[in-house]
Amino acid sequence: MMMKKLVGRGLIVSMLALSIQTAGAGMIGADKAAAQADRSMVVSVLTRAETASQLQAQGVDTRAALERVAAMNDQEVSQLAADMKSAPAGADGGTILAVVVIAAAVWYFAFRK
Amino acid sequence: MNGISILKARVRAGFAVFAGCLLALLSGCAPLGQLVPQTWELRSHWPQGVPQTVELTQVPFFPQDEFQCGPAALATVLAHTGVPITPEPLVSQVWLPSRQGSLQVEMLATPRRYNRISYVLAPSYADMLREVAAGNPVLVLQDIGAVLTQWHYAVINGFDYSSGTVFLRSGTQARQEMPFTAFERTWIKSRYWAMVTMPPDKIPATAAEDAWMTAVLAMARTGDGASITTAYETALRRWPDNLQAAIGLANEHHSRGSLITAAAILRRALLARPKSVVLINNLAQTLSDQGRHGEALTLLGQADTNSPFGEEVRSTRELIEQRIEQQRSALR
Repeated sequence: MMMKKLVGRGLIVSMLALSIQTAGAGMIGADKAAAQADRSMVVSVLTRAETASQLQAQGVDTRAALERVAAMNDQEVSQLAADMKSAPAGADGGTILAVVVIAAAVWYFAFRK
Repeated sequence: MNGISILKARVRAGFAVFAGCLLALLSGCAPLGQLVPQTWELRSHWPQGVPQTVELTQVPFFPQDEFQCGPAALATVLAHTGVPITPEPLVSQVWLPSRQGSLQVEMLATPRRYNRISYVLAPSYADMLREVAAGNPVLVLQDIGAVLTQWHYAVINGFDYSSGTVFLRSGTQARQEMPFTAFERTWIKSRYWAMVTMPPDKIPATAAEDAWMTAVLAMARTGDGASITTAYETALRRWPDNLQAAIGLANEHHSRGSLITAAAILRRALLARPKSVVLINNLAQTLSDQGRHGEALTLLGQADTNSPFGEEVRSTRELIEQRIEQQRSALR
């Protein structure tokens, strides 16, 4: 089970490494010349792999998790890791929940002894 | 008193207490200007140049499935920019099963996979209206819960100032009408979070230069070459002195072997920023790739050796010197 997990992780890391875009040979990329570029804050391939694993743990398919992380810049990857459990997650257009709450409250007040 | 009338009394009491609490919560006991500050501001400062009535009727509509307003809202704005998409494929890309919903950061990232640039607007009602007036439907995060928090994504595709109404594609409603005030009450909770998605050849009406370039660079991670090139071109046309747009565009041309074009872009950018080490490095590399090694070395000599890009400059110098050496040995 442990072996499977390690192999799985290794696969994720190598797949992520392949997908990183680099500028042509010898050219410095536009992202490196960013106005507020903080070169010390580069998110490593490993951190991306960790975040993809976290997504997996939250129910996302492996391949999908990799692709989702790949579309984010470094700052967003860090943010995702922090956001996953607690940030707003837009979900529903219905008022079903509110009705349930009101009904439960009425029930409680009415039938409490 | 018998059991039934006790029950009735309790139910009545319960309703009264509950209704009272609800009313207090909703009214907040505060003046209107504090409850809906930005709507209040609009009364005296309607954004200049923005018409009072706009409705983007062409914006498509995808009724959402339960909990999946994220995919539906994204499909709406993406399809509006010409992407042939429906909500279903977006579910595996933006929906988080454990949270039964979609995170904002993922809503932002997903359009890039379709060669669209996503941009978070300033937290401003006026900016949102300006974008809609410019033809860009705006995707917003609302708290639509009456009592408990209930996050929800919807798309604004119009407004009418005289009746004080905004129009949304929301949930299962193709045309939801909300008063400006009520909408602000739902929107204020997300700190006025709003985003637009743009095709590579367009820039949002309220885009700020640096923030837009960050958005373009993010798209460049996963976009196709043609879209990335168009995005840089469009940005450079709008902001001719933008360093990243020049570097990015030149790199795109360089990677496709259009060395003359790449060199021209870099040269032009150097006129405005003669000390930029990145420009110097990249132009030197390009010149050398064209066989103009001597010129390249001379140029490279202008680079400040204490620059954070010192390593890259050294590598480029070594490469060029190697090439010169190879040329010499070939001639012997």
